[in-house]
Amino acid sequence: MLESPDDKESGAVSADEPESDLEETDGEPDETLAEEAAAVEEAVAEPPPIEKVVAPPRVRKLDIVSRRNWFFLLSLLIIIPGIISMSTKHFLLGIDFAGGTELTVTFTNNPTTAQVESAVASENIDGSVISTGAGGFIIRTPPLQPAQQTTVLNDLTNKVGPIDRSKLSILEVGGTIASETIEFALLAVVLAAVAILLLLMIRFRNVPGGWRAGFQFGGSALAALLHDVFLLTGLFSIMGAVLGLRIGEIDSLFVTAVLTVVGFSVHDTIVVFDRIRENLRVSQRLSFEQVVNLSIMQTAARSIITSFTVVLVLAAILIAGGASLKGFALALMIGIVSGTYSSIFNAAPLLVVWRRLQPVR
Amino acid sequence: MQLILSWPVRLLIVAILIFSVGVDGAGYIYRAVNKYPMSGNVPGLPPNYFGWQLFIHKGLDLAGGTHIDYQLTNFPAGQSRADVQQRTIDVINKRVNALGVSEPEIRGAGSNNDRITVDLAGVTADQAQKVIGRVTKLVYTKWVKDSNPASQSSPHPGYKPQLVGLTGDDISSASATIDQNGVAWVVNLTFTAHGAQVFDTLTRDNVAACPGDPATDPNAGCPERFLTIWLDLTQQDINNWDNPGVQAQLLQRYDSGGKMLVDAITNSEISGGQAQISGGSAGFTQAEANDLATGINSGSLPVDLTVLDVTQVGSTLGAESVKLSIAAGLLGLLIVVIFMIVYYRLPGLLASLALLFYAGAVFAVFKALPVTLTLAGITGFILSVGMAVDANVLIFERFKEEVRAGRTIPAAVDAAVRRAWPAIRDSNTSTLITCLILLFVGPAQIKGFAIVLAIGVVASLFSSIFVTHNLLAIVLNSTRMRRPALLGVDRARIA
Repeated sequence: MLESPDDKESGAVSADEPESDLEETDGEPDETLAEEAAAVEEAVAEPPPIEKVVAPPRVRKLDIVSRRNWFFLLSLLIIIPGIISMSTKHFLLGIDFAGGTELTVTFTNNPTTAQVESAVASENIDGSVISTGAGGFIIRTPPLQPAQQTTVLNDLTNKVGPIDRSKLSILEVGGTIASETIEFALLAVVLAAVAILLLLMIRFRNVPGGWRAGFQFGGSALAALLHDVFLLTGLFSIMGAVLGLRIGEIDSLFVTAVLTVVGFSVHDTIVVFDRIRENLRVSQRLSFEQVVNLSIMQTAARSIITSFTVVLVLAAILIAGGASLKGFALALMIGIVSGTYSSIFNAAPLLVVWRRLQPVR
Repeated sequence: MQLILSWPVRLLIVAILIFSVGVDGAGYIYRAVNKYPMSGNVPGLPPNYFGWQLFIHKGLDLAGGTHIDYQLTNFPAGQSRADVQQRTIDVINKRVNALGVSEPEIRGAGSNNDRITVDLAGVTADQAQKVIGRVTKLVYTKWVKDSNPASQSSPHPGYKPQLVGLTGDDISSASATIDQNGVAWVVNLTFTAHGAQVFDTLTRDNVAACPGDPATDPNAGCPERFLTIWLDLTQQDINNWDNPGVQAQLLQRYDSGGKMLVDAITNSEISGGQAQISGGSAGFTQAEANDLATGINSGSLPVDLTVLDVTQVGSTLGAESVKLSIAAGLLGLLIVVIFMIVYYRLPGLLASLALLFYAGAVFAVFKALPVTLTLAGITGFILSVGMAVDANVLIFERFKEEVRAGRTIPAAVDAAVRRAWPAIRDSNTSTLITCLILLFVGPAQIKGFAIVLAIGVVASLFSSIFVTHNLLAIVLNSTRMRRPALLGVDRARIA
């Protein structure tokens, strides 16, 4: 049985007789659903009478839904400066976009790549070093003026070794990412967003309220998705274009990171929403707000643990990984933390607000 | 949950396991079979199994590749040099993509817009140069009286070709198909608006030169009625037409060093902007038709390319950087495994085993397809590991809840998988949809990442639902294993 029971339901659950309704609509006889309902309600009411729970359920008292405006405000406080920064200062573009200078250098003393890399790193020009064998290296940097080029070459001679001037070539190179690439990526984000909205509408149409409720679930998830995308791009705009930090530079890996966030951001949201759907079915005595809050509490541990595991991996790369990857790891980290935050503190509370404005039952 | 635990599924898991071990360990199996030492360089690696070269294909950023430096010459007059350079880059990009190279780096260069550098992984310099530098410019000619005929070898003695101003640039698209009779491969052409007009006039004039049905009327077959398609024919070639050596060379088929593609009689005026190229008397093979269509579609280079320099380059990310990052990623994964085991005990251990299965299977698929791995791809892989962990965490958290609600352990496992399934299914579906959209509309640089992520999502779904659940069911068959301490719960009903 790979189908969830609720797929067979047609939104026919009435508010009057939860237990019997569930028995009827469930495709397979589920001997324990009533038990489940009791378990969910026990979480808000009393410890269970039969089973002795040693450690009582933790953190269930936290009321996120009623403090939602604070969380909305917090998100806006980060996103709005980000949007202002993006629209006025744009981004700090990396070599992939803006192009730069390509120095083809041949050292006569056959240094290792690591030696050249450390010498270039100490120039503070954010260059990448590629070995071509036999002492030859291609060094790509952001655009360098002729005077800077001379400085860099002199420093390299001092730190690494003599340069064969006859084989030296200095070339201005363009970017590898055409503006077309960004247009395609944007189109992909928009299409993915629409597809995810449709998917969630279809998946959640069987909650009480039908398609309109499905649209509210899908729309709230989409809002959380856009929250994550804007927060990530906005923060990078602030870091790169306003603060001038190299780590906030936009390159092709950043584009990948944004698209990854689009793919993953809805995960946590779906987990919370799925729980809301289930709880709506089994506990008819709670208000919608209570159901949402309960569902957040029941899934928060999982969401935080999962994000924590991914953040662990990324933190390892951020701390110990190569310089060229730090921006990438940071972007993914921001995106994933934001994805978890927005699903807990924005998506689900937003659903409550939407339901209030547009009651569906 | 009967399906998940049924024997066909278990058989499938074992089959995948055997496949993964076979593919992942191909190199070691080869060494063992041929009694080579298990490490160090040995001849014949990577081994070739039934035409499969099984090894991990690494992208430019991880393994380096070929760096080619081109000089652009012969800029067309009256056009912005930057535009011409960009058009050349676009053509090169299309050609390189047709080669199946993932994520090439093509840069315009030079202060005068007169240089282009190309970085490619996984192809030899020769292959790359052949494809990039290839000139496939279709040229149409008609036949006019030659005042000074030198040779009788011409298809139309006493006549010589004349350019008509219709070239591959006037074609908006080309595709290779089988002709109406279902025998020969042909290339269908669709002209641009301008091309359609020129072609219409041309065919009308041709027919008017000696009207009639060529099949029945011997007078209707005059040379003026022929339209000829050449590859890369230049005015220079026509000027030398009366040199017998040059003429014989030009008349060779294009694949044996000549330039003539097809010399066809115009049956009637063609006005719809559609035409078809058949391979002449020799016919096209499917590959030839495809090559030609690709060549026409990728357009002709607006300039001449001269290779200034070809070098083998190391990884663009720097070997140290890549090593550190992969080590960091592995360390992170190790911490995740330790965390899973400490936090979830026995189920965590089984989930870690499932992760091993997952990683092995995904790498086998990468090798077998093959997928070119770049740093972005490895990230996609690590993230899909995160998703596999995620699905397990969902199930185990649910398991704890179900046990707390008073279920027996086997019932709790069953309920946990079933209850967690909708969320796992929906979240993975949404990621898969994103991958597919990236694959179809995304830019070329993103495709490798999207493929890796999609493979990872499908495999992680399989491993977290099927493998973990089966392992749990098998281990928990023994009542001795049903101890709360082993399962990370405070108290549980055993039976």
